[in-house]
Amino acid sequence: MKIKTLIPGIMLGTVIAMPVIAQENMEKLSNMQRTDASFTYVDQEGERANALRDIVQHIKVPEGFEVSLYAVVPDARSMAVAPQGTVTFVGTRKDKVWSVVDRDRDRVADEVKDFAPSVSFDIPNGPCFSPDGFLFIAERNRVLTFPAAEFFFEGPDPAVGEVVPQGQLIPAEEESFNHTARVCRIGPDGKLYISLGQPHNVQPADKLEMYDKIGIGGIIRMNTDGSGREVYTRGIRNSVGHDFNPANGELWFTDNQVDGMGDDIPPGELNRQNAAGQHFGFPWTNGGVDIPAYKDVPRPEAVEFVEPQVQMDAHAADLGMRFYKKGSFPEKYHGGIFSAQHGSWNRTTPVGARVMFTALDEEGNAASTEVFAEGWLNQETGEYRGRPMDIAFLPDGSMLVSDDFAGAIWRITYNPVSPQ
Amino acid sequence: MRLAAITILGGLMLAGGTPAFADDPVEGQKVARMCQTCHGIDGLARMPIAPNIGGEPKEYLEAQLMAFKTGAREHEMMTVVASTLSAQQISDVAAWYASHTASASLPAGTSEDEAPSECVSCHGIDGISIALNAPNLAGEANTYIVTQLRAFRIGTRKHEIMSEIAAKLSDEQIRQFADWYSKVNLQITREE
Repeated sequence: MKIKTLIPGIMLGTVIAMPVIAQENMEKLSNMQRTDASFTYVDQEGERANALRDIVQHIKVPEGFEVSLYAVVPDARSMAVAPQGTVTFVGTRKDKVWSVVDRDRDRVADEVKDFAPSVSFDIPNGPCFSPDGFLFIAERNRVLTFPAAEFFFEGPDPAVGEVVPQGQLIPAEEESFNHTARVCRIGPDGKLYISLGQPHNVQPADKLEMYDKIGIGGIIRMNTDGSGREVYTRGIRNSVGHDFNPANGELWFTDNQVDGMGDDIPPGELNRQNAAGQHFGFPWTNGGVDIPAYKDVPRPEAVEFVEPQVQMDAHAADLGMRFYKKGSFPEKYHGGIFSAQHGSWNRTTPVGARVMFTALDEEGNAASTEVFAEGWLNQETGEYRGRPMDIAFLPDGSMLVSDDFAGAIWRITYNPVSPQ
Repeated sequence: MRLAAITILGGLMLAGGTPAFADDPVEGQKVARMCQTCHGIDGLARMPIAPNIGGEPKEYLEAQLMAFKTGAREHEMMTVVASTLSAQQISDVAAWYASHTASASLPAGTSEDEAPSECVSCHGIDGISIALNAPNLAGEANTYIVTQLRAFRIGTRKHEIMSEIAAKLSDEQIRQFADWYSKVNLQITREE
């Protein structure tokens, strides 16, 4: 069996600093043995599902589009749709990765259960797939890979390999909670790209050098076996969403903005990167706004800061994003970017909790940005009904929106009424 | 630092002696609008990055907010929030959340004997605090508890008792303790 021979190659050394039981499980799993772990299932009917379906009526989308509840998924964060589209893996900021299964292809999940219950996860926020079916999961401070996860998720003991061992993504002293939610993608070069948020509002100057070297406050890339790690993107505060433009392979990413400078600055960012090592300004600038604490700190020499392509509403919290390749949505959306705004947490008047769409022009620059879906924020009371976190697409071209507040995945389809 | 913070607050209240300086849960409820997106207006957390604070000892809440305000404790969001709060607002908002009642029940099939002995004398078997300066842990996301214990262990969060206890804990123990309390069912209520 092919998988079996792959495992030793992707296992890098021993598992360190992990709970003993989990470690034993990791060893067993890497040898394709069974553990006695069992699944947790999430009820897809009943009160909870009904309450979520009631939210649908509040969501506004352009004409011809329809919103529905795809799945009840507690704490749903970043998503990875498996190549065949039967199962979507969903990360959380707790200890679960969920497998969301639609076996009968009626576009409503028929089963939601935890993925690899034998593995002890720690903030497994970011799943992503390689084209050949390896699932990668970026945790707070470790990266795992699951070969053929799309087929092995049915059992509690899928094969697992370690790409980055526990404690080697960042130094343990730099672990936080909020800014250690990772996202990942496999780039057109076949490398694994992982965002590393910096764990402060604005980092102290004495951390600059160390962070820059490790890639904290940036995006790193490495080979899928963990070798060849390098810093690809510099000068980010805390990015929780990136994707590659299918037209030219360029990396785009969102960034979250400094708190405490007022309600209306700095603006949110959508960035375009077209060369390795580019610097996007943080902590000297953020969304084009100078950060006061860094007024007198010398800027890196011979470095030109790349300005954002799109300035979003301040504090709307732009998180997950994905290019729309082709499919059932109207042509104006093909090749553009859908991004999720989680919504502000301390702005006087809350803003966000929407899905945004950014169209690109022929040169690959952002041409225009508009609201695509909104209504998760109750404008009258300022309370959230839900908070979109990530965007993914099913093979039929319909959109999934994860929501870690409501604990749901919403589906948006294009379903125009045909003229009679 | 925490003791100092309490002294400052205590001093303010003593010096005041008027209703303006007494803590006021109703005023605190207004302040809590700043907190509710993450912690819920009733203190039942709405996201795993935030702890449940409804029914927490007022002393603990005040001490933590003062620690964030003074920089003794640091967090990318709480440092920003606390820096804008006055001592009076801190006292009020702590009183609002403390005016709730947190109750906990162990999940079916668990034995009290499995509770982590290192923790129970302050945090309780079910994670309802029995010390004024200790937080409730019932129903907290295990990733939150792990984060805090690791911070105590490496010194990025400090406390005279917790720093010492956490220094001796392995990753395995930290995860076990966190798992114990995260499985507890938590309810937060408030009598009008």
